[in-house]
Amino acid sequence: MTSATATDTVLTARHPVRAWSGVPVLLAVLVGAFLLHIAVGAKPLPLGTVIEALTQFDPKVFDQVIIMNLRLPRAVLAVVVGASLSLAGALMQGVTRNPLADPGLLGLTAGASFAVVMVTAFTGMTNAALVPWIAMVGALGAALVVYFIARFVPGGATPLSLTLSGAAISAFLGALISIAHLLGEDTFENLRVWLTGGLAGRDINLLWYVGPWIAIALAAGLALAPRVTVLAMGDEVAQGLGVRTGRLKVQLLAVVVVLTACSVALAGPLGFIGLVIPHIVRLYVGSDYRWIVPYAALTGAVYLLGVDIIARIAIPPREISTGIITAMVGAPLFVHLVRQRTR
Amino acid sequence: MTAVTHPRQIVLRSPRERLALKLPLRAVLVLCLLLLALFLTIAVSLATGSYGVALGDVLDTLRGITISRAIDNVVWEFRFARTLAAALVGAMMALSGAALQNATRNGLADPSLVGVSQGAALAVVTLTVVFPDISSSWRPWAAFAGAILVALAVQGLARTRQGGSTIRFILMGIGLSAFISSITSAMMTYGEIDRAMAALAWLAGSINAASWGDVWTLLAWCAVLLPALLAISRTMSALRFGEAAAIGLGAPVKLVRNLQLAVAVALAAIATSVVGPLGFVGLIAPHAAQRLAPAGMAMHLILTAAIGALLVSLADLIGRAAFAPIQIPAGLLTALIGVPLFVALLLRSRATTH
Repeated sequence: MTSATATDTVLTARHPVRAWSGVPVLLAVLVGAFLLHIAVGAKPLPLGTVIEALTQFDPKVFDQVIIMNLRLPRAVLAVVVGASLSLAGALMQGVTRNPLADPGLLGLTAGASFAVVMVTAFTGMTNAALVPWIAMVGALGAALVVYFIARFVPGGATPLSLTLSGAAISAFLGALISIAHLLGEDTFENLRVWLTGGLAGRDINLLWYVGPWIAIALAAGLALAPRVTVLAMGDEVAQGLGVRTGRLKVQLLAVVVVLTACSVALAGPLGFIGLVIPHIVRLYVGSDYRWIVPYAALTGAVYLLGVDIIARIAIPPREISTGIITAMVGAPLFVHLVRQRTR
Repeated sequence: MTAVTHPRQIVLRSPRERLALKLPLRAVLVLCLLLLALFLTIAVSLATGSYGVALGDVLDTLRGITISRAIDNVVWEFRFARTLAAALVGAMMALSGAALQNATRNGLADPSLVGVSQGAALAVVTLTVVFPDISSSWRPWAAFAGAILVALAVQGLARTRQGGSTIRFILMGIGLSAFISSITSAMMTYGEIDRAMAALAWLAGSINAASWGDVWTLLAWCAVLLPALLAISRTMSALRFGEAAAIGLGAPVKLVRNLQLAVAVALAAIATSVVGPLGFVGLIAPHAAQRLAPAGMAMHLILTAAIGALLVSLADLIGRAAFAPIQIPAGLLTALIGVPLFVALLLRSRATTH
């Protein structure tokens, strides 16, 4: 497996002017996708109504109530979760120098889901404010287990060993979740929807608990991004350039764990977003994480809005789980990456 | 057949010595113990359940003595078919894993890891959800078609100009499995709810619905596939030394490898079509056989089959007895045993370093 750095250094770093040029376009697309996401649905609403509801809300107009109570929360969730998972994926790919890194593939989402399911099963906890904390503990635990298994595989924590141990841990936790599910069917009626990964019918109030943490983690991720570029050149190079790699890795792990856990708490396990988006972004901005990270966040938000629109309109009147579509799009890209990056 | 006993080995020869079997004593002993354990598991399995039957009564019933209509019914109609199906499916999955590991020269190969089980699962779910009018006797064929398509896709995608690569093979399997599973989930979410529920029980890898019809299907396929596997076992042992060495030894490597893959896929597909995807049995059994008693390929395959049968029988027994009346599908339990073993193999493997 060639490391990401070898290929990335061959790609000439794009000129900053080009990188800036994408930002307004991306922002415009984001706003457009956001409005479209709200307008589309079982009852299509004209964009004018959407904008009216967002600017001068009138609780007496039925369509505007739909928008404010149902569609706006879902669109906001898509933006938050898409941005978080993509940024987490980008940071993971940089810090592990692993083109196949993704919070789902490396077991973090499975760990977060597992923790939430177990705590709910054994304590009957219903306090929504605690969910993100439990998810964080689970994601962190799974991340550490996956990393340590991969580390002690002969050859060390390579993209392959990380992916394999991530798949193994995910399979193990998945089986435990299924067993817990069978043992307490009543408790799990609510969790079942959550576990398929999707944005429909989510409790927007959770955003009040999770939002601040996501905001802090996103900001921290953006702030750390320049040093990730250096880290992606290899530990020794980074140390030679004066980066305290150990501390930086701990900080990045914390950011990734918080973003993943909060996303899982909000929308359940959504796979492959963190894998796909950074690779798409790299095609445009090259290998500089100062650009990859913010671009990944914006593109991820647009991507999840788009996926969720497809999920809602593909087979009316029913809805496909958003997580299914992200896997359908992401898995072929994964296959392509494996073909390209492995001997 | 004449038997000549060497120290620590038993050699069986056919009349004109066209066939000779050299059996390490240890392997024979282990096999006897495994079969005894399997027999005990089956006996206990027949006796336990929501309707308890004494072990002695079970044995009498199996000998054809009717103790009561109820016991007759419970043992013969419900439990015996299920128990036999579990053992057969376990043996088939184990052999599929052994053949797959040999053909890909990858100790981590397992039908559920390289997408073969998922391919079979998608085909069967499609049949159940989208075409419910088609009889379920088509399930094995659909499963076979799905499994072989995915196996071909994984092989094709993993192939490079320098030939197949074991690492790519596994990673391709993971990627394709995710893709196929997402299609399966899509079908489950928007298919009719009762059909989806039927498919769901099957998808978890549970044996509780197995009937005598299933047992006969499994047996019929075993009667075709097992001799085929044993027939190529000699060349398979040459392949253990690597492809170049096997060609040097004059083995028809390409043909045998393709045959092996075909048999592996067929075994996994048939087993999957009856009980759903049972993960990790194909991974565990060959390694356990190797560890318990290193033996020649044919004996290794027999041991592997016995371990697989024991493993799934035990998983099925534990799954329905441990948390009764709730039944835990055997597939979940095999995953719980299999994953730690997978990790242990990963930690020891050299194959993953390059």
